[in-house]
Formats: sequence, structure tokens, C-alpha cells
Amino acid sequence: MSDRNERWGDLLRRGLGGDATAYAAFLTGITPVLRNIVRARTGGAEDVEDILQEVLLAVHAKRHTWRVSDPVTPWLYAIARYKAADAGRRRGKVGTEVDIDDLADILPDEGGETTAARDLAALLDRIDDRSARIVRGVGIEGLSAQEVGTGLGMSEGAVRVAYHRAMVRLKDLAEAEIED
Amino acid sequence: MKTDDLITMLAQDAAPPPGPSVERRAWAGLALGFVGALVLYLLVLGPRPDLLGHMADPLVLAKMGLPLALFALALVLAVRTARPGAGAGRTGWIVWAVPALAVLLFGWSFAVTPPAERWRDFIGHSIPICLPAITVLSLPMTAGLLAAFRRGAPVHLRRTGAMAGLAAAGLSTVIYSTFCTEDSPLFYATWYSLGILASAAIGAWAAGRWLRW
Repeated sequence: MSDRNERWGDLLRRGLGGDATAYAAFLTGITPVLRNIVRARTGGAEDVEDILQEVLLAVHAKRHTWRVSDPVTPWLYAIARYKAADAGRRRGKVGTEVDIDDLADILPDEGGETTAARDLAALLDRIDDRSARIVRGVGIEGLSAQEVGTGLGMSEGAVRVAYHRAMVRLKDLAEAEIED
Repeated sequence: MKTDDLITMLAQDAAPPPGPSVERRAWAGLALGFVGALVLYLLVLGPRPDLLGHMADPLVLAKMGLPLALFALALVLAVRTARPGAGAGRTGWIVWAVPALAVLLFGWSFAVTPPAERWRDFIGHSIPICLPAITVLSLPMTAGLLAAFRRGAPVHLRRTGAMAGLAAAGLSTVIYSTFCTEDSPLFYATWYSLGILASAAIGAWAAGRWLRW
């Protein structure tokens, strides 16, 4: 356990200093452990991988809240438990699952105003402008993250993260819509 | 998206965006809220005319000192809960000394006050001002703290909100106590505490809504 703390703490410390390789090794190292936490906390739901990705995104988004002098595992597991509980709460409320990836895959292929395209357009109006532009660029027009980033003055990595976040948000919105 | 791809993508963005720490933001938010509360206090209430003459009275000092201690301890706890995985530590125990002292003070005051005067001291004459004033003055500071904690990652939202509300109410009570002329612990240990609890409840409620991430 303390061994793990030292290893991960060292990798994350270097990652926060801008070392992408160390940060990748940190994320790769924690993933199986986080997957187990998510699986245990959600009773082995079929969307473990989705929730796991949300946990990874949360770890990434909140990486500045880890104090380098603290052990890393209590911090990490607290985030994992919080996000797993959050996902469990949301799923408890939602009856139908909508896979936004399917929705997005259909869109570029179908020309014209299909229902799905209209729905997506309506959903895109409800998220912030920049995110909507990124989703349009990457998900619908098929541009690369780099191309979209150049237009918005963002790094490629930042675009990819924003894209993933926007997709999660769209999925939530779509689920809320179905609920109504 | 595959998890491995997500990791590859996140790793390209290793260094966190620069910005002040949660602690610094909390101080800034609190300071802003404090200025707001002070302006409100000066506009509506203002210090009691005989304030300086009472500063040597131990009961008046306790009236200001206890909430000040509550402020300091609850602030430490609130800021700590803004980071995942951090325990309350010893401060989590020490903070209980504040309500314990308030209860002791109340008991002592009850014992030494002549029976005929107890009820009068307990009810006082300013409950309708005291209760709302403490709570209202705490709100700008609670808001400042919660705004700062949005940058943090609290995992027990209600606890974080309650601690922020307690800290803010501690400070708002210190401010209010310079206006209030009721110096019997029978009054202030009771009604101040109620106002402070209301602030903590509002903080917990607000945090449950605003701090989700």
C-alpha cells in the first residue's frame, strides 16, 4: 500500500510538473484499481467502463487538489468513491440508456434533417458555445482535434478533453429529456 | 471511446492550469464576503454606543471570543474538506470545545443569576434582530467560501457547506456582537447559537446544490 503510494505519488508529482510520460504511467497504473472500486461501488453495472472514464476525467480535472506532500491513495480513492456514488445516483433516476456515441456515429452519415440530427442540434444549443463548436467540429464535421484547436486557440489535448466532457454532458441532457 | 485512448489524450495535458490554490481562493472569497457583511452592518446596525466601556467585561469578551474561535476552527475544517481524502484531524475534536464552553457558560450564568431575573435575561429584548442579523451577515461570507470551493473537490458536500456556514457565522456573530447590548450568556449562548446553526444549515443546503462536480 505505501509502496503504491510512493510509486503513484512520484509519477503524479512528475506529471503535475509537466512530465506527460510519467502522467500517462500514473493514469495507466491507477486504472485497474479504479475499475475495481467502480465495479464494487456500482454492484457490477454494465457501464463500469463509462463510469471509470468519468472517474479518470475527474481525477484529471481535479489533479490540482492533490497536495504533493500528502499520500496519493486516500485522495484518489475519495474521488473514485464520489464519482461512483454520483453515477449510481444518476442511474437510479434514469430509466433508459442512451449511448451518445451511437447517436454521434449516425449523424455524419445521414444527410438532411433526420430526427436525431434535429435532436442533437437542439441539445447543442443547450451547452456552452465553445463546447458546441468542438462537438460539431470533431463529432460531425470530422475535423481533427488539432484543426478545431487551432480555430479556438486551444491545445489538441484540451480539445479532446473538452470534447469528451461535452459528450458526457450531452448524454446527461439526452437522458433528462427522455425522462421528461 | 476506449479507456486507453482517454488516458493517452489526458496525458497530453499533464500540467494543471495555473491558478491560486483552494486555500488562497478561500481567503479571497472570505475577505470579499467580510467586506460585504461589514458594509451591511455599518449601514443597518453599527456599534453600540458604549462598546469601548464594555470591552473589559469578561462576559462581553466571551460573547466575541467564542464565535471568533468557532470561526477559526470551522474555517480550518471547511478548507480541509475541500480536498478529497483529507481527514478532519485534531481540529475536528477541538471544535467541539466551542459549544461545550457555550453550554458551561449558560449553566454558570443560570446558577449565578437571581431566579427572578433569569427569564428576563433569557428572553432579552432583541431576538427578532439578533437571529436574522447573524444569519444574514454570514451569507456573503458563506457565498465567498463556497465560490472558492468550487475550484476544490469536496466529496462530502453538505459537510463542507455546513463548515463554511459555521465559519462565516462565527465571524458574522463577532460583528453582530459589537452591536448587541445583551450581555447575559443566558441570552447570547442560546440565541446566537440558533442563528449560527441556521447559517450552517443554509451552507449545507447551498453546497449540496452548488458544489457538485
